[in-house]
Order: sequence, then structure tokens, then C-alpha cells
Amino acid sequence: MGIDIYLIQALHGLVYGMLIFMVASGLTLVFGMMGILNLAHASFYMLGAYFAYTVTVYLGNFWLSLIISPLIVGILGILTERFLLRPVHIKGHIAELLLTFGLFYVLGEAVRIIWGSNPLPVPVPGILKGDIPFFEMTYPIYRLFILCFSVFILVGMLILLMKTRIGILIRAATSDTDMVDALGTNVPVLFMGVFGGGAALAAVAGVVAAPFLSVFPGMGLDVLLDCFVVIVIGGFGSMFGAFVAALMIGELQSFGVLWIPRFAMVFQFMLMAIVLIIRPTGLFGEVE
Amino acid sequence: MMSEKYLNRGWGAAVALFVLFLPVIIPEIKVHLAIEILIFALFAISFNLVLGSLGMLPFGFAAFFGMGAYIAALMFNHIPGTPLAVILLAGAVSGLISAIFVGFFCVRLGGTYFALLTLAFQMFFFAVAMKWREVTNGDDGMGVIRPELYFPGLGKLSLMNINNLYYVTLFFVVLGILAAYLFSKTPLGNSATSMRENDERASFLGYNVFLTKLTVFSFAGLIAGLAGGLYVLFQEFVATTAIDASMSFTIVIMAIIGGTGRFFGPILGVIFFMIFQDWISDLTDNWWFFLGIVFIAVVLFLEGGLISLINLDRVRLWLSRQES
Repeated sequence: MGIDIYLIQALHGLVYGMLIFMVASGLTLVFGMMGILNLAHASFYMLGAYFAYTVTVYLGNFWLSLIISPLIVGILGILTERFLLRPVHIKGHIAELLLTFGLFYVLGEAVRIIWGSNPLPVPVPGILKGDIPFFEMTYPIYRLFILCFSVFILVGMLILLMKTRIGILIRAATSDTDMVDALGTNVPVLFMGVFGGGAALAAVAGVVAAPFLSVFPGMGLDVLLDCFVVIVIGGFGSMFGAFVAALMIGELQSFGVLWIPRFAMVFQFMLMAIVLIIRPTGLFGEVE
Repeated sequence: MMSEKYLNRGWGAAVALFVLFLPVIIPEIKVHLAIEILIFALFAISFNLVLGSLGMLPFGFAAFFGMGAYIAALMFNHIPGTPLAVILLAGAVSGLISAIFVGFFCVRLGGTYFALLTLAFQMFFFAVAMKWREVTNGDDGMGVIRPELYFPGLGKLSLMNINNLYYVTLFFVVLGILAAYLFSKTPLGNSATSMRENDERASFLGYNVFLTKLTVFSFAGLIAGLAGGLYVLFQEFVATTAIDASMSFTIVIMAIIGGTGRFFGPILGVIFFMIFQDWISDLTDNWWFFLGIVFIAVVLFLEGGLISLINLDRVRLWLSRQES
């Protein structure tokens, strides 16, 4: 006992925070660039987890689902952007928000129709089973895998955004879409790609979360509310803000459960309210 | 124009007659549905005071509905003998106060930001209702006993009789809708519309944009609180379902389906939603799927909602031709 339990709890918080960040980063990217708060993003995360279940059941390989599931969901995201979101784009952001909101319901129910309402288990893949010694206690390997994997994704995303031509275009479109369009980039295609990429990223998070949190129809709403707290605290559209806020929420939940289990959830929304009262645009958000 | 006046009166009279004699026409089990429609109609009207006239989408509007519901339930249980009107008034006022508090932080922002911030506050309210078990009994909720009404000269009126409950609910709902209608016709209500169109221009014209928005938002909270109180009276129960995200989302769906461009549009959405739900939940458990598709179809293809299908102008045109 003593310091160990705090270390373990901090690690739990870090793992959950990174998982939330994987989902929230796609949401933030789409919001920053297109101004759409995509509520269906949480459904993409959920679909990712469900496809992971199906692939592991029928093909018996968890790693395969890490490729197949984001691929399917990414295509679904592209179709959503092209055939549902683009037609309502001219009607403004509220119509876009409402559309993704309807989609959130439809996809949530579709999951129930296809896979049923019961929680489904996804087994932890063989090599990641078990615990490793951690000071005088043990720590599940799979959680460490989530941590490493999400850091890997984070670094990959940083390289993509900062070092490649596509990344430069995405960042440019985030600050001024019209100018990028005028300079000869096909912005609608870029939007479609980013939307699909964001959906695929959410699906990756869903796959990774599946063995850890199990797969159930309410998982979309759970993660939606957490992500939503994260992007509000971090500041709408700020990637760095989302990162900081995701870690804050992860740790807050982890230690909240340890110290005052009853009010852990209240703290989360209280933190959000306090941040908003002091800085209405979030910690790192730009002033409107 | 004479004919238009008659047309409006004719419509009004027909609707009034229908609503008044509804419990006589329909089987008793459906009276429950009718009461629910009445309560949500009031809730949807209050919601549309913000979305329709201010053009701002409050995504967490169940905060005020739920607040009214909880305060009313607590008064039913802890202060026995309080007259029903006082309890409902307290529910409404609690909706007003919480809306002033939330609105103070939210109405400065527009678009998606406003939508999300109201949802943030609603989730905070929800978390408190969920976890403050000593007062709210958490997600187990609180039961409530419907009081008896005393009328001087008429004697006792039991609200356990569903028809009595219908008429009492109808009375308060009509009162609330009338208040909201008159409010939207005041100069303040009109200046809110100018802010929906262009709030910068409205502010240059000398309107206090912040204060106007806050006033409309708070008044909407008051009406939502009244609806919440009536909801408790009807359900004889309150739990976190009255203040959770699903409740907020449901009212958005109802109002959008009905159409937010006209004052009575959301009521049409409530009627459609409730009857559709009542019908389809007998056929399938996954009725949200179909409702979601209807909702998406409305957003994609029917911007004005169901009420835009009813085109009174065409009838008016026909009438004016008959006259001349």
C-alpha cells in the first residue's frame, strides 16, 4: 500500500484518458475544420467495437479486426459525409448537428437490431493476457498495450499533421477554408477524407476498447458524454486542448472513484462548468 | 379580411371542441396518451421559444423540465397539503431560476457552442440528481401521491380519476401555452426575432442583446418547469429520466419533426411522435430506429417540419376568391 496505489490509479487514469483522446481527437479535427460537431462520431466508435467482436468471432483474430473494422467504418464515414452531410451543409451548422444527431439514434438502434442488446465479450488477445509485476503489485498487460498503442497513434497523427502535405492542407483548411479552396485544393474531397479518417480513428479506439470495456449498446452514449466534456474543457477545435483535457478527465475519474466514489461524475461536470465560467471558450479554444 | 378572421376562428373552435371532448371520444387507456401529449406540447412550446424565436438550439433543455419535476415532487412529499397551483408555480419558478443561472453563462455564445453548453449544464444537473441520494433518491426515483382538489361549492375532486386529471392538466397547459403565445407577441418577443436574423444589427439599433436573450431563455425555462411539474403529477413519480440527456434529445426531435418556424409547429411534432411511438412500439422494440429515420428525413427534405405541409395560405386564397 501507500504510494503504489496512487501510481496504479494514475496509470488507470492515463490509460482511460488516452482512450478518450483517441475518440475526441477525430471529433476535434472534424469540428475544427468543418465546424460540424459530429454526434455520430460516438456511433463510429461503437461500430468499431462491434465489428471487432464479429471479426474475432468469425475469423478468430483480434489483430485482423484492428485493420478491417476501421476500414469499414471509414468507408461508412465517407458515405455519410458525401450523401447525408453535404446536402445539408448549405442549411447551416444547426442542421448539420441535427443530422448527425439523428444518425446517432439510427446507428445506435441498428446495432441493437443486428447484435442484440446484451453486452458481448471480446477476449484479450493471447500475448496480451495476464499481468506484469509493478512495484509490489501487478498491472494488466492489456492496459499498458492501450497506453502504448494510443501514444503510437498520437505520434502518427502528429507526423501526419505536421510533416506531410495532406497535414499542411488540413491545418490550412482549419484556419481558412475559402482560401485553401481558392488556392486550388479540392476542399470537398479533403472534407470527405478527413471525415472518413476521423470515423476510422474512432473505430480504432472502439476496437482497442472492446476487450477492456466489453461491447454494449450504451457504450456510444457513455463515450459521447466523456468526449463532449473533453472538447468543451479543452476548447472547441483545439487538438492540444483535447489532449490535456482528456488526461485531466481520465485522472479525475480515476482518483474521483478512489476518494469520493459517489461524486466522481459530479466532479467531471463541475470542472466543466468552472472552466466555462472562467473561460467560456475552453482552456485552449480560440475566442470566437 | 372577413374570411380570414372566420377561418382562424373556425380552426380555433374546432381544435378547442376536439380537445374539450377528447376524453369522451377516446377509450380510457388513450386518455393517458392524450395527457402525455398535452404535457410535452407545453414543453415543446417552451423549447421553441428559444429555438424558434432566438434561433438558438438548446440541446440540454431537459435541465429546466427536470428541475420543475424534482421541485414539484419534493413539495408533494415534504410539504403535504400545499395547493396544487402553488406546487406547480414552485416548479415553474425553479425552472425560471435555473434558466437564469444557466442562461447567464450560455446565451452569450451562438450556434454549436450554445447547444453544447446548455447540454453541459444539463448533464451537471443530471449528475447532481443522480448522486445526491438523500434528497433525490438517485436513479430509484421518488413516488408521489396525486393530491385531491377542493373547490368551494363543488367539493372534492380526485385526480386519481383520469378524466379529472386530463382537464386539470389541460387547464394548466392552455394557461402555459397562452402565456408563451402572448410573450412571443410582446415587443420583447419581436426584438428576439430581430436577433435571430442578425444580432449585430439588433445591437446597433440599441437593443440589449444579452438581456433580451437571457429574458427569453429564462421565460422558456419557466414554462418548461411548469411542464415538469405537470409531468410528475401525471407520472406519480420522478426519476433521473426526467432530467437526463435522452429527455433533452427527445424534445429536440419532437420540435424539429413538427417544425420550429411557426409557433404551433412543435405541438404537431409532439402529436406525431407520441402517436407514432404508441403505434410502432406494439410492432417492434426498435422503434427508435424508425423514428430516427423519420427525423433524418425531416432534416434532409422537409426543413419546415410537418407544419409546413399545412399550407393555410392556399385556403385563404381560395376563400378570398369566393368573396370577390
